[in-house]
Amino acid sequence: MVRRIFRKTNFQHKENQQKQNTLQSNLDSNIDLTLQKLKKLLDEPNDLVIREIKIGKKSTTSAIIYISGLIDRQLVQDSILVNLQDITTNESAPEENKKLFNQIQQSFISITAVEIGQTMDDIANGILAGKTVFMLDGQEKALLMDTKGGESRSIQQPISETVVRGPRTGFVENLGTNLSLLRRAVQTQDLRFKAHQIGKRSKRSLIVAYVDGIVNPTIADEVNRRIQSIDMDDVQESGFIEQWIEDSFLSPFPQLDNTERSDKAASALMQGKVVILLDGTPFVLIAPVVLGDILKSPEDYYERWLIGTFLRILRYFAAIIALILPALYISLVTIHPGMLPTDLALSIAASREGVPFPPVVEAFLMVITMELLQEAGIRLPTPIGTTIGIVGGLVIGEAAVSAGVVSPIMVIIIGLTAIAAFANPTFSIGITFRIIRFGFMLAASFFGLYGIVLAYIMVNIHLVNLRSFGIPYSTPFSPTFVGDWKDLIVRAPMTMLTERPRFLSPEDLKSAKKGEKN
Amino acid sequence: MKSFQYGDEKISKNQLMLAIPSVILGVDILQLPKDLAVDMDGADGWIVLIVGGAISLFLVWIMTRLALRFPKQTFFSYATSIVSKKVAIVLTFLFAVLFIGLAAFDIRVLGHTSQQYLFDNTPVEVVSLSFLFVVVYAISGSRAALFRLNMMFFPIIITVLLFVLLVNVKWVELSNLMPAFQTDVKGFGGGLKTSVLVYGGYSIVLFYLALVDQPKKASKHMMFGMVTPIVLYLLVYLFSLMIFGRTATSHLLYPTIDLAKRIEIPGGILERVEALFFIVWTMGVFAATIIAFDVAILALNSIFKRMKKIHFVLILSPIVYYLALFPKDISEVNMFGEIIRSAMVAFSSITVVALFLIAKLRKVGGNDNASK
Repeated sequence: MVRRIFRKTNFQHKENQQKQNTLQSNLDSNIDLTLQKLKKLLDEPNDLVIREIKIGKKSTTSAIIYISGLIDRQLVQDSILVNLQDITTNESAPEENKKLFNQIQQSFISITAVEIGQTMDDIANGILAGKTVFMLDGQEKALLMDTKGGESRSIQQPISETVVRGPRTGFVENLGTNLSLLRRAVQTQDLRFKAHQIGKRSKRSLIVAYVDGIVNPTIADEVNRRIQSIDMDDVQESGFIEQWIEDSFLSPFPQLDNTERSDKAASALMQGKVVILLDGTPFVLIAPVVLGDILKSPEDYYERWLIGTFLRILRYFAAIIALILPALYISLVTIHPGMLPTDLALSIAASREGVPFPPVVEAFLMVITMELLQEAGIRLPTPIGTTIGIVGGLVIGEAAVSAGVVSPIMVIIIGLTAIAAFANPTFSIGITFRIIRFGFMLAASFFGLYGIVLAYIMVNIHLVNLRSFGIPYSTPFSPTFVGDWKDLIVRAPMTMLTERPRFLSPEDLKSAKKGEKN
Repeated sequence: MKSFQYGDEKISKNQLMLAIPSVILGVDILQLPKDLAVDMDGADGWIVLIVGGAISLFLVWIMTRLALRFPKQTFFSYATSIVSKKVAIVLTFLFAVLFIGLAAFDIRVLGHTSQQYLFDNTPVEVVSLSFLFVVVYAISGSRAALFRLNMMFFPIIITVLLFVLLVNVKWVELSNLMPAFQTDVKGFGGGLKTSVLVYGGYSIVLFYLALVDQPKKASKHMMFGMVTPIVLYLLVYLFSLMIFGRTATSHLLYPTIDLAKRIEIPGGILERVEALFFIVWTMGVFAATIIAFDVAILALNSIFKRMKKIHFVLILSPIVYYLALFPKDISEVNMFGEIIRSAMVAFSSITVVALFLIAKLRKVGGNDNASK
């Protein structure tokens, strides 16, 4: 049995080897042979189109090959097919095969991006990437013409990150569109796009973007190095990349930021960060990210500084509420009731009268219910999602209180916590808060306030040990960069933000001239 | 993985500068006013605080000079080159033992204080153990991270302390400072002893200066780091006296925490704010404990070079826990603390002065002009 499996794998191995050889082999000068090989390689799929045309005075066999769903049909027809059919009637077309091929490449094809493919691998991958391949009998090379098309989404306002003020453009699934969005937002000659092909089986293009002369080369090199280390069959979303290249997979804190907003990506580039774009997803990654970044929103800069500062402080306040409010309730009600003023203590005690559970159980019950509601609300289509919100939030909350299972004050606390957890600019950090909140609640149920402070210390220990692409996560709080504090909890007036973040050690620190107003 | 330029395992001068007040303040600031008020009449304690501070400042200066004679060398390696290797092993080992004792003392006082202000029923063993677990978690990380951690907590602690003092300004009675200069010689002696001892802990300079990235310019930072606790001690001492008076202060267990009792949050959202102050101070005690613990590991690691840090942590943690629970009641805790701190101050001052003189006489290490 074992031997049989072994033999089987051996056989598969041989087959793979054979396939590998076909892929590496150069094109045959006989076009029929090449076409047969190609068909065998792709197993003659329905959507593979091979259009043979006799061209030139000698009626040489030629073919254009593409996969029907991946190309722009109109483009192929107008810019390739029509032109090729013209050759037969064209007087100036040379007779010799080699010259004809060159002439076709230079004069007849009206496609902007044309490459030459030499191996079967080039051709097969080109076709799968939406290119149209042209081959001429007797030639050992092929033309790969970029005719990528097919259905794609148009640029829309990002759903996951809405702002009141600011550009409404969001990234789409098409890499080319995304690159053009970045180019439009960052109009400098120093914008660099470093291209990678990732995925062993399903190949995808990935672009590492940064602004040369601003970004610290250490960061850009490190990002490129880590991306080259990716060894996966298929990379479906930028989340795969994030999880492959992040520093610590045990941390609940995100070590790469993700965004759908082109303006956020552009501002990250101008600060000296690196942006990673993957074909097929509107979510781009921003690296590195530190503690000070996770509560920043692009909107802070669009509004006037007082408003921006107010929003920032509000968000920090919301983060604290989201993290410790249920834990605070547990510790004050169960372990330190003496710390509450008498009236408040009495009213809490009165509202808890008849509740069969201790506050810890009550709090966990409600927090878990809230988590369930959130999860259910996201998965359902919008109209039903609203219903779930109403039924879950109002009906269950109200019924639970009148049934005496939970106290009204607990419902208030949970509601406040849930709202506070959503008052942050990125979705993923909200989930981080939700996870850590459970830790705080556990600690509070054992040791009260002392437990909360121990949990707080532990979160801090984790943060000071964490890194994002070599940069300590706790910066600019510590290692301290006082210069960066102008854009941290407070968002200083625009005229004072003359420097890029120091913690990124950018090559060009100054982003504006100091004190100059126009 | 490449680490970022400032993200490597070096400690910056500023970080070490803030570590000095952290390890000195620790638990001592909680009962310092009481200890001084027992011995000294009126507000005479400020004299001994300044004298004690000056002595400590001088010792820190000598330590810095000594360490700077041997840039980038550990205490063990330059002690070896000044005296012999055997003596160096003994000295380093004693330092490690003393710092373990200091960490244990910090943990025990924290456990005791938490019983006073937070929970009456929870046994001190449980409180100390949970605290020790968090300490172990911190120590197991990187050494530079400890200093980053200290730098995150220090501003919070100092802000809260100054806030407490500020709120108390309206209860200040200057007449409580009288009578001046009435303390007898015996009282002065006792006060001076207390004030010298509360500054103990600055010996961390000996060990950490080897890890600082630009040690040559560090001496000013070290002095500034030493001045911070002197100022804070003076402030806390004078405020306690002015608010409670000498008699009351000498009978309070932790006068500094009791200062926070006076705070009334407008609107009366919370009562017993001193518990909140204690909660914040937990971070301060934590910073002191991890630094003391880490110095012990650093010292031992320079002797036993082959052992991994995590092994030291695993071996030392039970010892620290045992030592922390060794004293039976509060008077034994205080006695334990006094023994540890006396030994620390006496041992480190004698060692440092002796090493410095021997190094000068035998002309070991960098020349004296260079370090100026």
